[in-house]
Amino acid sequence: MSDEFDDIQAIFFEECAEGLTTAEQGLSAMQAGDVSAEVIAGVFRAVHSIKGGAGAFGHADLTAFAHKFENVLDEVRGGKIPPSPGVVKVMLSAFDILTDHVESAKGLAPRPADQAALATLEQVLANKGADDGGPVAAPAAAAEVPAGEADAFGFVPMAVSLDDFDAPAELPAADAAWIVTFKPSRAALANAGEPLLIIRELESLGGEVVAVDTSTVPPLRDLDPEDAYLTWTLRVPGEVAEGDINDCFDFVAPDSIVEVRRDEAAAAPLAEAAPAADEFGFVPVSAGIEDFAAEMQRVVETIAAASPAIGSVETPAIAPKAGSEAQQTIRVDLGKLDLLLNLVGELVIRNSILADRLSPADRQRVELPELARLTRQIQDNVMSLRAQPIKQAFSRVPRMLRDLSVETGKQILLETVGETTEVDKGVIEKIGDPLTHMIRNAADHGLESAEERIAAGKNPAGTIKLSAEQRGARIFVRVQDDGRGINREKVRAKAVERGIISGDAQLSNEEIDQLICAPGFSTADTISNISGRGVGMDVVRSNVEALGGRVEIHSVPGEGTTFTMILPLTLAILDGMIVRLAGQRFVLPLAHVLETVQPEPGQVKRTSPDSEVIDMRGEYVPVKRATEIFGLNDDRAIEDSLVVIVENEGSGKVGLVVDTIDDRREVVIKSLDQNLHPIRGLGGATILGDGSIALILDIEALVASTNRFTPKGLAA
Amino acid sequence: MTTTNDNAGTDRKIVTFSLAQQTFGIDMRALIEIREWDEPTPLPNVPGFIKGVTNLRGNVVPVVGLAERLGWEPSAIHARSCILVVHIAGKQAGFLVDEVNDIVAIGETEIQPAPEVETIEPSVIAGLVRIATRQKDGTRDEKGTMVLLLDLDALSLTKHLDIAA
Repeated sequence: MSDEFDDIQAIFFEECAEGLTTAEQGLSAMQAGDVSAEVIAGVFRAVHSIKGGAGAFGHADLTAFAHKFENVLDEVRGGKIPPSPGVVKVMLSAFDILTDHVESAKGLAPRPADQAALATLEQVLANKGADDGGPVAAPAAAAEVPAGEADAFGFVPMAVSLDDFDAPAELPAADAAWIVTFKPSRAALANAGEPLLIIRELESLGGEVVAVDTSTVPPLRDLDPEDAYLTWTLRVPGEVAEGDINDCFDFVAPDSIVEVRRDEAAAAPLAEAAPAADEFGFVPVSAGIEDFAAEMQRVVETIAAASPAIGSVETPAIAPKAGSEAQQTIRVDLGKLDLLLNLVGELVIRNSILADRLSPADRQRVELPELARLTRQIQDNVMSLRAQPIKQAFSRVPRMLRDLSVETGKQILLETVGETTEVDKGVIEKIGDPLTHMIRNAADHGLESAEERIAAGKNPAGTIKLSAEQRGARIFVRVQDDGRGINREKVRAKAVERGIISGDAQLSNEEIDQLICAPGFSTADTISNISGRGVGMDVVRSNVEALGGRVEIHSVPGEGTTFTMILPLTLAILDGMIVRLAGQRFVLPLAHVLETVQPEPGQVKRTSPDSEVIDMRGEYVPVKRATEIFGLNDDRAIEDSLVVIVENEGSGKVGLVVDTIDDRREVVIKSLDQNLHPIRGLGGATILGDGSIALILDIEALVASTNRFTPKGLAA
Repeated sequence: MTTTNDNAGTDRKIVTFSLAQQTFGIDMRALIEIREWDEPTPLPNVPGFIKGVTNLRGNVVPVVGLAERLGWEPSAIHARSCILVVHIAGKQAGFLVDEVNDIVAIGETEIQPAPEVETIEPSVIAGLVRIATRQKDGTRDEKGTMVLLLDLDALSLTKHLDIAA
């Protein structure tokens, strides 16, 4: 039972995460000036659902905070409080606290200090947002037409309607007590719709149970204790808003019967508020129902016409039924996806084993290419299952920047581009930390203070641009600031001071920039909370390299710095060239390969007893022998070998000497550290068609650090 | 198949194998499978006792020369050489051993602590136990054989590698 409860609770937290994302997007849009009714309603719904779920699971602190936040949102939605920049700011910080509350409810964080945020929300409620410099509600007198700022889509009317529907207490005969009849569906308990929780919630509104209908309870021998049989009738004080009562039924099983009506026969016949509808605040009203329907129709049409880009997330608000059909998604345990991916990897391998075993004539038969094609399709589909928009990794950035803005006193604007770029889930999970460090670095070191920026003739608010794009099999994630750029003099001096480079080292600008990523490096004169401990960019580089990617730094003094993480699209499959080194098969990642040459006699020349170059059409490219690096015996003459020219960021082009090239194929990456530990120079292993293992070469490590790790290899 | 000792509770089963003329034992529960020796794919930049990696049903599993790892002369490969695939500290590893002998049940009380001088790293020997060995003709040699029980967790390969590297 408690396992099931945990499972359901886990779903709640997933929904919280989605709700928070939606809310943040909405709030960010509001901050950017889009205060249209559907944006506000979206935020409201998200916070409202979190509140409802939190109540059902007994997270009192979260519920209380979400409730207060929801109140403010409700007023904004109803046009009582104008969505001025000040109010939006208050709501953004309330959102941050709400996020913390969710973490706290998960047990991952202590209970956040929310008094200040609660007080601010309270103040906004009390002052109707009028004291924050925002546009004071000018036509406030017109209660029927609240003063939402008319936006480009002309959504003001919708705000009126929703307000009216959510505040039926303003209707005539508001004082008559509510009679609430609740008959949970038979399967309510199986669906975690514990009726007691709902009754408790109604009781907390001042309600009391006046009658329990036991007529449907079967004889004991037929009674299934897992089923619900009772019907409750409760009396709730008339001053309670109907919306609040309906809120209690947000999470009841779909076929439960809920009736909310006034105790007086003369009162508005508000009956049978269908639970599916009341989640969105759509409660039928006594008067003007046709008018409302017509108006809704108009609003729906306006929205449909004006914003075709509205995603499925917003759609259910307008047409819940259509939305639920359009959103056919299921939740799947990530472990199952990972297993599926592994199995598909096996399938790919078996497929090539089969192909290898068959005679050439059999190989050409239609069945085998067909099997290969199907296998490929399955593989592509499984890969796409794991692909997630990089938005997931970006979503924490706005919050972080708000905090950083407070800590540094700098004004920071955030621009995001390409957040729908899809990347393997594994990559998304692993770029979070590097991204955090890059953003912190940009905010702390990259951007100047407002005074400095004004003095330099720049916008006092600095901009950090976060972008993602896919190029071939790689993802480029950029953090670009328009700050002061890297002070190369200072970086160089610090590097010398810290003993990272010698005082007389001759370094290019790019090499100096790269020093930022050296372990122990920091230019900050004082260690701040944010950065300056000299671990940040080193972590970025090592994490990104561990993913098989690299970091590029581009800086223009006075104009800003761009950090680019170049990452593989997937961690599971690699396009590789099967090469032999001293007879042993290795996989060379194709992404690094520029060209392959069979050296002519004299094309490879020694520049010192242990270094060589190859003459590539007049360009001398250093040559490295992987066999030497790995300590393999190789007495093959260079003319009998092939030189694969690979491109590497640290040292540019390098030629790698290999015996032969066997094949080119996609290989499934198996990590070495699963059963052993990472080995420098190797990116993992793969299983070839004949079941044998080939090691995957890590070009970056091989080429960049030959000198450093050869002795280590020998020592080991 | 299983032989038992009569004089104590039969608390656990061990797999015994020969290595460098000694008889070793590991807990049966750690054993995944026994496979024939197959030349593994050698790895660069690893200590000599790691012979390489092999494909165990789609998993890349290191093959360890257990004799070298314990400080004995490396095993020569012969027809009965085999690989014991075991769970070790949450990972899988294959141990090259000279010959697998038997599976025997031993009582916890029969295990004697290992003297500290047995190997270069005393901690890898969890204890000593005497077992009756089965002769070719099926009779028992009552004098028995001393089995060195290995503590697999203490063998943890990565830990050792950290020191080596």
